[in-house]
Amino acid sequence: MATVVIMPKQGQSVESCIITEWNKKKGDQVTKGEILFAYETDKASFEEEAAVDGILLELFYEAGDEVPVLTNVCVIGAAGESADAYRPGGTAAKSVESSETIVKKETTTAKTEELAIKTVIQEAGTGAISPRAKILADKEGILTAGLSGTGPKGRIIEQDVLAVIACNPKTTPLAKKIAGKEQLQPASTGSGLGGSVTAKDLTTPNPVYSNDFEIKKLSNMRKMIAKAMLNSLQNSAQLTHHLGADARRMLELRRKVKKANDNGYPVNITINDMVCFAVVKALRKFPQANGHFLGDSVKYFNKIHLGVAVDTDRGLMVPAIRNADDLSIQGLSNQMREIAVSCRKGAINPELLSSEAASFTVSNLGNYGVEMFTPVINLPQVGILGVNTIVPRPKDLGDGVYGFVPFIGLSLTYDHQALDGGEATRFLKQIAIEIENLEFEL
Amino acid sequence: MSTTFDLAIIGGGPAGYVAAERAGQKGLKVVLIEKGELGGVCLNEGCIPTKTLLYSAKLYDNALGSSKYGVDTKEVTFDFSKMMARKQKVVKKLVGGVGMKMKEHHVEVIKSAAFIKGRSAAGIEITAGDTEILATNLLICTGSEAFLPPIPGLGAPGELILTNREILELKERPDSLVIIGGGVIGLEFASFFNSLGTKVTIIEMLDEILTGMDLEMSTMLRQMYTKKGITFNISAKVTEVKGNEVFFEKNGKKESITGEKILVSVGRKANTAGFGLENIGVELYRGGIKVDEKMRTNVPNVFAAGDVTGFSLLAHTASREGEVVVNNLTGRADRMRYNAIPGVVYTNPEFSGVGYTEESAKAQNIEYRVAKLPMAFAGRFIAENEGGSGLCKVLVGAKYGEVIGVHMLGNPSGEIIYGASMAIEMEMTLKEMEEVVFPHPTVSEIFKETIFSF
Repeated sequence: MATVVIMPKQGQSVESCIITEWNKKKGDQVTKGEILFAYETDKASFEEEAAVDGILLELFYEAGDEVPVLTNVCVIGAAGESADAYRPGGTAAKSVESSETIVKKETTTAKTEELAIKTVIQEAGTGAISPRAKILADKEGILTAGLSGTGPKGRIIEQDVLAVIACNPKTTPLAKKIAGKEQLQPASTGSGLGGSVTAKDLTTPNPVYSNDFEIKKLSNMRKMIAKAMLNSLQNSAQLTHHLGADARRMLELRRKVKKANDNGYPVNITINDMVCFAVVKALRKFPQANGHFLGDSVKYFNKIHLGVAVDTDRGLMVPAIRNADDLSIQGLSNQMREIAVSCRKGAINPELLSSEAASFTVSNLGNYGVEMFTPVINLPQVGILGVNTIVPRPKDLGDGVYGFVPFIGLSLTYDHQALDGGEATRFLKQIAIEIENLEFEL
Repeated sequence: MSTTFDLAIIGGGPAGYVAAERAGQKGLKVVLIEKGELGGVCLNEGCIPTKTLLYSAKLYDNALGSSKYGVDTKEVTFDFSKMMARKQKVVKKLVGGVGMKMKEHHVEVIKSAAFIKGRSAAGIEITAGDTEILATNLLICTGSEAFLPPIPGLGAPGELILTNREILELKERPDSLVIIGGGVIGLEFASFFNSLGTKVTIIEMLDEILTGMDLEMSTMLRQMYTKKGITFNISAKVTEVKGNEVFFEKNGKKESITGEKILVSVGRKANTAGFGLENIGVELYRGGIKVDEKMRTNVPNVFAAGDVTGFSLLAHTASREGEVVVNNLTGRADRMRYNAIPGVVYTNPEFSGVGYTEESAKAQNIEYRVAKLPMAFAGRFIAENEGGSGLCKVLVGAKYGEVIGVHMLGNPSGEIIYGASMAIEMEMTLKEMEEVVFPHPTVSEIFKETIFSF
């Protein structure tokens, strides 16, 4: 008999959840307890575990889909069984209430609901209630079924009921009606008479101090970036060396590309493409910078998988260009462009976004005029190169003649656990040399 | 050596004295600086004196019309100077009462003009007469004054040209009065002098009198007063004043009217100059001090309340604004809401309203349902208003039926309208309103009847 998995209802006000990732594909064998998919509400992210062993017969939604709660998401059963009967919207589709076997597990990133009302229905208490609590609850019209008590053996005592009363906001009749109809959760205080919650407050974040600030929940992506960045700074010994490279050669090549481009040459190779190309060349000579530091070992890559930081509306993304060392500068340029576009569209293959996918990363802020910065390593990678803007600098041109020469700033952050300063400096110098002696055919 | 205060208040009108009283109650060390009499325009040359006079006029009207009620009076007369003297007595009593309250709550009152000198880390420096004040917080409630439009020939207020201030000092009833501006102030004085037999003419630039009030009832009120003898020139623009003669353009035609006195009541302007506002860099907006919903100005620890903000120029708005300031200063998060501020025009009959009018709801694309009933549906109204008419109109939100506006024309709607304000503040819907018990027989029942007619 097939078992249907429904989108759990996480909290009173949640109407739908977004599937963020599928861990299993159609036809996969799943065992009880394995994670089927991850999903998120606007507040928290969760993982759904398989409740039974079997074959994942059908997936009704893809990652990124918004699924109404209590809707069938997928079906687990025996090989050959049909899952069509459970397809949402189909005639036989029916939210299966026998989902109590499906265990919900909140991941560590999940935060509790804003209102800490102790009415957690899933973990209903014993139902025992003290007489005082009962009288108060009856008087105030508080439903105690499902209330988990703090008394002995989960007995509901007066203060549990008082806590619920304290959390119950004063809400205007209109706000109550709208909240009921549109499934909105009133805040604990509002902007109305004596702090009552008005209809407008239902849709205004933080109504009392709306003038001062607004609190927004982090998007899943923001949370991931925050976690990765903090992790990097807390768990590595990173520091940054800055060095400038003579950019005359690169600028000359760029002029040639532009001219060729105007005459119909198909690839518009940018300064960033050239720097990345030089980085790949330097990495070939410094394999110790092309790796992952794993604590008790270092993983050196035979190939170069270049991570490129891409600024998108949704936040920073660092996709990897796999096997960048196999690419000509034209190929590299094309891939950089494609990958940036798919990041901004949100169509990037998630596998390429993993920090393990790249062996070294380049982050270019030169376009914005940044002259020097300390990029943060995408752990477990050993290094990251920050590319800065081009500024004119005085240079000894020989014979006591000094002239202003365009220099491009390079900021190499490396993990001192994996590399020493001398090595890192030599590697950085090598990048500069590659930049200064760059050559390619158009 | 300057004296330090938790709160300095400039202006002792309904914003200032109420804020001073509340702050004093809560234990703040407060100084209230007022260059004139305590009570501001409201007590001295606005709300209170006009209501006192209007009550005299109403008594006179009632006496004249008492035969309809089976009461015969012989030779009903009035004494203008007695009316004015009583007005003065009422004002004096109330102003004295404010002074008492200030004493009771340990508010230091300085009778002098104030000047803001500057602001430092220690506080805001203010000079009031001989006193140097250093205040942690400053509340500005300098109010407003009558706006005199740039009409050619319109002289300064005095013997002939009057504002609300001069007209309250008249020694004799004028035989004729031309009123430029058919707003609340114009209408109330029109009503008073019309009752006393003065020939009153109102010239209003807009298409109807009492802009902002319910349009249908404004028209009804104008028609009532037309019958009582007031001449209304609406959609008429005053072009020139020559001595006693006021020239205006109406429907493309030039007309003129002569009045013994000319009252200018076209609006008011906020008092923002002459007391050093610029020394602390307070930002203005549309002529008033710019404030947020907690009545904070752009300068930290400097607040403004009342007419000086340039909007909702009403004494009760001002008082509430002052209270919002004090609440926030004393640890109670509060903010000003303007959606349920009632307005009353003390004509006879009274005209009251709160919340959205049909016109403002339409302008803001708010979907509403409306119900209206003649005031005669309330038994007490019939009992007390022989041959009188009036209207009650209730607006509710189209989807949920929450009360969003209530308007009434009829006596004593000014005493009833606060109930509607509460309904709006509390966002009560028709369902809750239906459960409210109204005393019988009262005119207020018209509200309930209208609720049930949805």
